[in-house]
Amino acid sequence: MVRNRQLARWPFLLACCLFAITAFAEPRFPPPDFSETQHQLPVATTPAARAVWLAYLDVAVLAASLGLATWFIYKQRSRRGLFWLGLFSIAYFGFWRKGCICSIGSPQNLALGLFDSSYAVPLTVTAFFALPLVVALFAGRSFCAGVCPHGALQDLVLVKPAQVPAWLEHGLGLLPFIFLGAGVWLATTGSIFLFCQYDPFVPLFRLGGRSAMVLTGVAFLVLGTVVGRPYCRFACPYGALLKMAATVAKWRVRVTPDICTQCKLCEHACPFGAMREPEQGTPPPGQLALERRRLAGFVILLPVLMLTGAWLGGLLGGPAARLNPHVALAEDYLAVKDQAPTQVANTPAELALSRARLDPQSLVTKAAQIKRQIVIGGWIFGAWVGLVIGGKLISLSVRRTRTDFEPDRGGCFSCARCFESCPQEFVRRGVGPASAPEGLVGPADAKGAHV
Amino acid sequence: MSDTVVIAAPKPIRSPAELAAVWRWAAITAAIFSIVVGVAMVFAHLEHKSSDPWRSPELLKLKARLRDEPHNDALKTQIREMDLQLRQRYFHLLSLKASGVYLLCGGAAVFLIAAGQVRRIHRRPSMPKLNPLAAEQLVKARRESRLAIAGCGAVIVTVLFATAYGSKSPLPDDAVVAAKLVSGSEATAVAADCATDDELRANWPGFRGFDGNGYSASGSLPDSFAAEVALWKSPVPAPGFNSPLVFGAQVFFTGGDATKREVICLDANTGALSWRQAVEKVPGSPAQLPEIPEQTGFCASTAATDGRRVYAWYANGDIAAFSLDGRPLWARHLATPKNPYGHATSLRTWRDRVIVQFDQGEPEDRLSKLLALDGRTGATIWEKLRPVGASWATPVIAEVAGKSQIITLAVPWVMSYDVVTGAELWRVQTLEGEITPSPIFAGGQVIVASPSSKLAALRPDGAGDVSKTHLAWSVEEGAPDVTSPVSNGELLFSVSSGGLLVCFEAKGGKKIWDHDLAMETQASPAIVGDRLLLLSAKGDVVVCPVGREFKELSRAKLEDAFFASPAVANGRVYLRGNKNVWCFGVKEVAHVH
Repeated sequence: MVRNRQLARWPFLLACCLFAITAFAEPRFPPPDFSETQHQLPVATTPAARAVWLAYLDVAVLAASLGLATWFIYKQRSRRGLFWLGLFSIAYFGFWRKGCICSIGSPQNLALGLFDSSYAVPLTVTAFFALPLVVALFAGRSFCAGVCPHGALQDLVLVKPAQVPAWLEHGLGLLPFIFLGAGVWLATTGSIFLFCQYDPFVPLFRLGGRSAMVLTGVAFLVLGTVVGRPYCRFACPYGALLKMAATVAKWRVRVTPDICTQCKLCEHACPFGAMREPEQGTPPPGQLALERRRLAGFVILLPVLMLTGAWLGGLLGGPAARLNPHVALAEDYLAVKDQAPTQVANTPAELALSRARLDPQSLVTKAAQIKRQIVIGGWIFGAWVGLVIGGKLISLSVRRTRTDFEPDRGGCFSCARCFESCPQEFVRRGVGPASAPEGLVGPADAKGAHV
Repeated sequence: MSDTVVIAAPKPIRSPAELAAVWRWAAITAAIFSIVVGVAMVFAHLEHKSSDPWRSPELLKLKARLRDEPHNDALKTQIREMDLQLRQRYFHLLSLKASGVYLLCGGAAVFLIAAGQVRRIHRRPSMPKLNPLAAEQLVKARRESRLAIAGCGAVIVTVLFATAYGSKSPLPDDAVVAAKLVSGSEATAVAADCATDDELRANWPGFRGFDGNGYSASGSLPDSFAAEVALWKSPVPAPGFNSPLVFGAQVFFTGGDATKREVICLDANTGALSWRQAVEKVPGSPAQLPEIPEQTGFCASTAATDGRRVYAWYANGDIAAFSLDGRPLWARHLATPKNPYGHATSLRTWRDRVIVQFDQGEPEDRLSKLLALDGRTGATIWEKLRPVGASWATPVIAEVAGKSQIITLAVPWVMSYDVVTGAELWRVQTLEGEITPSPIFAGGQVIVASPSSKLAALRPDGAGDVSKTHLAWSVEEGAPDVTSPVSNGELLFSVSSGGLLVCFEAKGGKKIWDHDLAMETQASPAIVGDRLLLLSAKGDVVVCPVGREFKELSRAKLEDAFFASPAVANGRVYLRGNKNVWCFGVKEVAHVH
């Protein structure tokens, strides 16, 4: 008891420290002088910044939701509980918080914070990045199960799921990793937050946004009626991180925590193609040599792919640098610098330069430095793409021993749908036959064997 | 016995098939409803875009018309009414769209619930079957997946290649190479779009000449300035106290008032009007002009040229550039100057840059600044805030130890800046009063004047605040009040507005002689060769030798009033009076560029 109290002191102390940090805001630039035109500056209607305690409330709600989701998955094994938690997440993190702050965008803030000493990553952002990952390291993708509003929204529209062919699933499965690499790469230089700019659901939560992204969100939802969670499976960059963490998770979701009877009733229960069939770890003798040669070939190919990717990424750095506002402005300036003036007014680049109070030399020098960083980042990004492709080829060439149907450790969203397809689950819930056949475990025996 | 009406109770829907049919109809109805709302929203969205007040072609057309007819009140009313209508329509559609979103959400929710129920009712548990080909199928699926990965990899490589080679960037990723693209280094100097220093020195490209010192070593003055011997005189088409400038066969000056401000060009050979261009429709220039005293006017600032373009600056803060043949190039409104007497500082050029000393307000206002603009585009190359209030002196450019400095005056500082980067080089605290006389750079010294109180010489080779170390000399007697001093490097002359002409040693500041010219002097004097040229506000033109004794070589009386400094180029002298521009000197045709 005493030890518990001591342990409780630390979070309390930490919370006190966090609350003590107050945000001070003041205009960064003085307002323009309108004294000549007698223009009355209108009163600002932008709402005040969100109170600090509300930001910490978001973190608390996230932590509680993650705990609840994990409890629903491992203790209650309740799809219904996750469904209602998902509805709450859509309401709170989606429509109420308007999709921001969100864990999906948080890797960009951290990447920028790591490379730009002038950018301080808010503690709430760090918490939104770290909490779901830490939970994934222990209990898999509880965040995806019912806490992420993006996933919950797609779960809600899933009407008649169709199985995506395995080859397409694997091929498109590369995209989240590449998106993750690109987003982190460009965020390190403060060029663009790709995950936020191209988030298809945030405009829906905000009931408005860029037409292209609203339509993309609607398209994802329409597709989501027949393909389970298309964004989570084929686009979500944070999902890629969670997938890697969940692959090495301490605990994993099982269709049944009891003995699998190999009834195959769960074979088609997963709408996300995450159910893995039993598999023999060793190939037939005739194929062993071939598969070994293939595996060795892919292992040798991996560094080649990474080097090729690095070279390509370096080439891509130039065009990608244009996403950085400094680089874009410098390029626009240089493009028209030597042209004869053709109009009375300044060019947009010159106006922007003037408004930014930058002189061309410092702008161009700074832009060149940023471009250099982006090109170097491009090498790393390209190598990452090569690693993802090579790693995927290797993983598809390795046989695993699997005796039961079981969810893929990384690909499972922990949605709890497959539980209901298992006869063991009915027995556990007491809705099976009064006397369970031999080999089936009754409710009383199942206690304490959930994980 | 009364009739009993038996109402049959509605038949409860019980069977799964009946329930499924009801849910199916609900789903279909909700789907149709959602599609209709969605289509309506798309139409509303397209309509919404067309009613955007910023994009309305009718409104833009009216606004363009207003630029040509700025005083058309009926047009203004029409614009306001149309703007109001468009805004009302815009916000009405916005509200419709917001309602549509809620309807769409409602329709989608009903559809999802109904479709879910239909699926729940029809759901049948799967019947597991033995699949003897499972192992082969797994191997096949893996093979196909590997091919898919390879295919995706190929697509990604192709996209990366196409993106990498599809774009060209003018920006190198080496900061040193990039800096050279825009720096004031030798490469830029070669590429600078302006006349050479020798060409400009042979002409009179700004206030008090090429370097702003009012000194032309190689020229000569005519023997007489009598009206009869004038080569030509040309009426001034628009008022202004600014001085003329000369480049080739063209004489430029500005003129105007609150209604219109112009740049005027005369043929240097005949005095005929070559062109005159109004500076109007300047982006960002407020319609309401500042109040400017008549004795300053809107055109007190002298224009400048770099031999390719002519630049003009007015008391309302508008600055504009024209080609030498009068084509408008660019115009900017820097800001409306806060200056109690009206803005009067003139422009200066360095290579193809325009140097703008924009001092205004009080020091604590932090409004004063020094800017270098790109002469070709008007873009700001650099801009430096100055810790001073309003001033009226024009900066000069001094070349010291191979580097060009901009020397500026404003109470209490004489400040020097690197012309390439705008970095402050040195400053001396020595000025007081309302600074009107401009500095000069002569005999390796910067000579500055506090009106009627002090004349001082500074060494321009310091760094930082050199107030205690770089003051060469100062005298309190004989300081000018309005006009700027002039020197040939050996002798220094100052003239007060009352006409007291004083000669000093340029080195040491020792007074040599003084003489009362008995004339009101508002125009700064000039030295041409070994002659000193002085003008009066009553039309006197006085020539004295530059010597250790006073002597009046000639005095002419013209029917005019001179507030502008003379321009001297190609053997001729150009005087801008309130009524006429006068030309004296050799009859040969002026050099044409």
